Amino acid sequence: MSHFQPDRVLLEILKQNISDEAYSWLLEKSASGKVSFNTTFVTIPRKTGKKNLVITQSQQDLLAAYVPGFTVNHWLTDRLARVWLLLQADNSDKEKYVRQIENLFLAAEVNELVALYSALPLLAFPEVWTARCSEGIRSNIGDVLEAIMCRNPYPAAYLSDPAWNQLVMKAFFTEKPVEEIVGLDKRANKDLALILRDYAHERWAAHRTVNPQIWRCVGKFIDEALLPGIEKLTISENVFDREAAALACNDSSYTPAKQLLDTIPVLKSAIQSGTLTWDLLALKMKENVLQS
Amino acid sequence: MCCSHNITEKDLQPGVQDASYLSRIKGMQFFDPHVHMTSRTTDDYQAMADAGVVALIEPAFWLGQPRTGVDTFRDYYSSLIGWERFRSSQFGIKHYCTIGLNSREANNEVLAEQVMEILPLFIYKEGVVGVGEIGFDDQTAAEEKYYRLQLELAREAGLPVQIHTPHRDKKRGTTRSMDIALEHGLDPAMVIVDHNNEETVKEVLDRGFWAAFTIYPFTKMGNERMVDIVKQYGTERIMVNSAADWGISDPLAVPKTAALMKEQGIADDAIKIVTYQNAIAAFGQSGQINEADFAAVKEIDQSQKFSGNTVLRGGQQPRIDKDSIIIR
Repeated sequence: MSHFQPDRVLLEILKQNISDEAYSWLLEKSASGKVSFNTTFVTIPRKTGKKNLVITQSQQDLLAAYVPGFTVNHWLTDRLARVWLLLQADNSDKEKYVRQIENLFLAAEVNELVALYSALPLLAFPEVWTARCSEGIRSNIGDVLEAIMCRNPYPAAYLSDPAWNQLVMKAFFTEKPVEEIVGLDKRANKDLALILRDYAHERWAAHRTVNPQIWRCVGKFIDEALLPGIEKLTISENVFDREAAALACNDSSYTPAKQLLDTIPVLKSAIQSGTLTWDLLALKMKENVLQS
Repeated sequence: MCCSHNITEKDLQPGVQDASYLSRIKGMQFFDPHVHMTSRTTDDYQAMADAGVVALIEPAFWLGQPRTGVDTFRDYYSSLIGWERFRSSQFGIKHYCTIGLNSREANNEVLAEQVMEILPLFIYKEGVVGVGEIGFDDQTAAEEKYYRLQLELAREAGLPVQIHTPHRDKKRGTTRSMDIALEHGLDPAMVIVDHNNEETVKEVLDRGFWAAFTIYPFTKMGNERMVDIVKQYGTERIMVNSAADWGISDPLAVPKTAALMKEQGIADDAIKIVTYQNAIAAFGQSGQINEADFAAVKEIDQSQKFSGNTVLRGGQQPRIDKDSIIIR
């Protein structure tokens, strides 16, 4: 019982990446109704194994066209099979459907949680899962957090501002690759800017470092209150801090921020020529970690 | 589990740490097939990793006081496959578990019925390497009933069984546990009989079961006795564990026993068999243990760097200097 087009693409990818035996098993189990659904969900890795998926560019494009921001790149075979199976759940009775999926969450181990949260953007009745998603953000398990925060379009599309802000704040706090948060720029808001500013000041007070990408969520809201933090950043010893300050000022329409950008002309022209962007900064930081 | 025993004044004196034994087992890898990590601290995890423990099995057990509802059982089982597994991975130790209704709580029949209903939800999970620890405590009729039901569950699922043998009336309880397992058609090669001693080992081995020994101060085996057991019985189907829990116990029991064996002239190969290989052979029959994963969980930082993400992404815990009074 499929309610989304992507499950055809997912099934096609699965067929290419798991054994014929596992593929037939999965098809047979998914057709056999509710009784074996939970056991099938749990048993999947034993049948499919855990291999990196091989995906064609056109399959990636198709998925992204159906659900912008959604990707299965970097998934393992068992995760994809589980997400596909979830899409086969009977959703003709909303209440039963929701209870069935919720029950899987309640008894899930780590990899099952990863698959369940990855499936949120594809599940039926998307508005129903906001509380579940917020609950997931309270997890302390790295892989679970990452399944929700990174390359997952569900949170940006459905979470309220407070829940979204908690997600972004916690992504910085737990050192996730924040550039992979879908909708990071689009969902920027004043409250979040203030929360992140305070967080940065706390870290500075404790002589700890601050991820320069924090300022990506702040630029648009720079005002009298937010400017001092950015000023401090422009004279940081860390080049990534200075670049972040320049980018934040560039995002702002506040005149003193524009003037501040003029005081760092090299970075200003790098932005104008396109050699300095938030994404490039994220990339450079990543490479820096690799070298260190 | 801790019980009363003969404590002398000497036992109450503060101890002195001497970690020199670590040099004797440098480079060796250990698998502790019975340890209750939910009751242990992060210091224990670090010490175990430092001593060469690469993987462990946490059997579901009694938490020290009886549970009053099925939901707390559900949450406990969930934590074994979720949070505790993650916590362990942060120290580079691969965490497996066995799932079962322990013998003490089998005596609360109303609750036991409800627990039996949720067990199938958990025993097929990834990394669940057996049904355990189950068996007898007081050797009551209720204990026997749920022991039998869980043996059936294990047989259906094709999973090994980890049997807890009782403290009291141990010899007869052990014999009876094996009799019942055979009665239910279980292959003794799929059954690990735990907490053996000099009195029980011969029959367990003769009947084709795996014999696990718990090195646990005061109440179970000491490791000098363990060395003698290996000298007498060899290494076939014998394994060593710590069963460390919330009582006075030692999560380093396996590496310490290996060091003692080495000191007393037991060959490295033999030490490896009883402190690593046999546990994998026995519980690996679940199809859930892959030795390559031991290395993978250790390299969690490294692999995540290579996939292009930041370093501490759910990775290993940073070290703190325990001798410094400064905490940053």
